Amino acid sequence: MNYRQFVLSQSIIFMASSMVFPFYVLLLRNVGDSYSQFGWAYGLFALTSALSYPVIGKWADQSGDRTLLLFYSLAMAFILLLFPLVTNVWQVYVLQIVMGVLGAVQKNTEKAVLARRADKKQVGADMGRYHFWTSIAAAAAIIITGYLVDFLTIATIFYIASLLYAWSGIVIWKKKKAFS
Amino acid sequence: MKAGLFICVYAALFAASFYIYNQYYASSTVEDAGHLLPARVKEIEQADGEETLKELVKQANQIGSYLTIAGMQHSQGGQTYYPGAVMIDMKPFNKIIDFQPEKKEITVQSGATWDDIQQHINPYGLAVKVMQSQNIFTIGGSLSVNVHGRDIRHESLIDTVQSFRLLKPDGTVIRVSRTENADLFPYVIGGYGLFGIILDVTLSLTDNELYEKKTKELDYREYSRYFQEEVKENRDFKMHLARISVAPSSFLREMYVTDYTTAKDQQLLKDYETLKKERIVALPKLFLGFSRYSGWGKDIFWDIQKQYMLEDNGAYESRNNVMRSETDFMTYESSTKTEVLQEYFVPVDEFVGYIDDLRLVLQKENDFNLLNITIRYVEKSDQAVLSYAKEDMFALVLLINQGKSKEGVKKSERVIRKMIDVTLKHRGSYYLPYYAFPSKEQLKTAYPRIDEFFRKKQQVDPDDRFTNHFYEEYSK
Ligand SMILES: Cc1cc2nc3c(=O)[nH]c(=O)nc-3n(C[C@H](O)[C@H](O)[C@H](O)COP(=O)(O)OP(=O)(O)OC[C@H]3O[C@@H](n4cnc5c(N)ncnc54)[C@H](O)[C@@H]3O)c2cc1C
Repeated sequence: MNYRQFVLSQSIIFMASSMVFPFYVLLLRNVGDSYSQFGWAYGLFALTSALSYPVIGKWADQSGDRTLLLFYSLAMAFILLLFPLVTNVWQVYVLQIVMGVLGAVQKNTEKAVLARRADKKQVGADMGRYHFWTSIAAAAAIIITGYLVDFLTIATIFYIASLLYAWSGIVIWKKKKAFS
Repeated sequence: MKAGLFICVYAALFAASFYIYNQYYASSTVEDAGHLLPARVKEIEQADGEETLKELVKQANQIGSYLTIAGMQHSQGGQTYYPGAVMIDMKPFNKIIDFQPEKKEITVQSGATWDDIQQHINPYGLAVKVMQSQNIFTIGGSLSVNVHGRDIRHESLIDTVQSFRLLKPDGTVIRVSRTENADLFPYVIGGYGLFGIILDVTLSLTDNELYEKKTKELDYREYSRYFQEEVKENRDFKMHLARISVAPSSFLREMYVTDYTTAKDQQLLKDYETLKKERIVALPKLFLGFSRYSGWGKDIFWDIQKQYMLEDNGAYESRNNVMRSETDFMTYESSTKTEVLQEYFVPVDEFVGYIDDLRLVLQKENDFNLLNITIRYVEKSDQAVLSYAKEDMFALVLLINQGKSKEGVKKSERVIRKMIDVTLKHRGSYYLPYYAFPSKEQLKTAYPRIDEFFRKKQQVDPDDRFTNHFYEEYSK
């Protein structure tokens, strides 16, 4: 995995996640009907993330960033296939827990990669460029999806997002000159 | 190598998810205008012809599946579907089969809407005799609940039906009229889709006329007398509606009435006969919106609505246009709330006492968000077995904003049952196409022939081939 692959895959991931999450809220509203259920769904996500960070941190140093990022992308691609089939609040809770763990994997590893690469003099500029590309991807995705939902069902959005996650995985997977 | 494996597995799971979704989730979760009973049905079948319908009934009999019939699904208590049953969508079954202007008769397939009929007959100077205030409903759905509307001279819909053809649960087709298979006539009309599929219907029509609209304010204590002496007795009065305030400052006291009287100069009709389209509704929608949230909003909405109607005094409108009034401003979307209707019938001479009792009940219910009450008149019509107009009645339509959650339903149910008790106490009854809030006892009091109705259903459809929420809820 070289840096370009990394940025590309992360941009795709941001696209996929920013497509899903605003509309994920719509799904939650169809399934659950109270703000407390809403609170629980997001609370569980944050809580499992929090609990898994320490473990993941150690893991990252052992098994390598690429493996973890790949794991994240592929796992998300699979998980999203379940979203359209959700009918019950408890299923949302389970998904939120799994995604809490996965989210922690992604965040931690992403930062680890950036930190390992950091060239001491121009960290700021590098970070700026990285966030620029990934945020542009996210913004584009949110706007486009806003139009798409008028034509497609929420389920279709989940399927598209799943494909994007799979793509981001394949981008990292491809053998390229090792990451400098 | 590994990547290849991943792609294969992923593709397989993707296809599986997509298949399951489409098979069980996407197309088959249905709900009606009440939004309180989403349900997963077995399949939705399109009624694209008489042969298709016969085949559907035959198949259901062979494999033992259950059928429900859906028109526009503006009923609100699951009368058009049931979990696990096949739902037949009648909307495509909407042709005009025969039209004889000189005999003032039309025969249409039951999925046609009133709008379809109006478009067809308006150029011939004809109009429908009895229908809802709006024209968005199917003929089959309207027959099956036996509707009534603004017209005050033609009783209920059943009184305007000449005959219809019925696809029975055993798969045979019969003609039903007051002389042919006459025993079924008063059951199928107002029969909530439980006796088979109404295929086509022959209705009698009347002349399209030009009306002059007259609106005035009244105190609720004058209303019965006003109606009986000034409206009912005067043959020029053809249609009527009224509203009673739900705004805090005039709650169930102030009213306004709107009458449609035959215009002196019928020559003018040609200037008014073009069928109107839905107008821009942003303003009424906005004010109705305010009234959902506060008593203050309700006061404003009431004043503006009344003012608007009073200013329109003396305006001309064709009969066909009076029978296609706006609905768009009512559309309401919310994830947690919904708007439901109730309709109560009360004898004309009981009105004042009834409103006083209703006020006593509602004044204690601050949480009950009542947005509108429209009043119409239905003449005694006891042909249908499930007839609601046991005598000459005022019909009060209530629009209620409530939560979709279980608690929301419970809260409404408590207040609605109290209101129905008050209604029954005044020799009244309530309308059945709405949500199943009323108790079984209340149903029995309002509809004394309900047992007879369910017995006939058993006789015509011993296997319960046709079912729906209403039937499952109240007959068992
Ligand atoms: C905004 C609004 C305004 C309304 N105003 C009025 C009014 O002014 N006056 C009034 O009387 N009612 C009024 N109603 C009630 C309305 O008339 C009924 O709900 C009516 O049934 C709606 O017609 P539909 O085509 O939506 O029927 P659906 O809701 O689709 O069906 C109603 C019933 O008819 C049965 N059915 C439908 N088609 C057939 C068929 N071909 N053969 C056998 N059974 C069939 C169904 O199984 C079901 O039991 C109003 C409802 C709403 C939501």
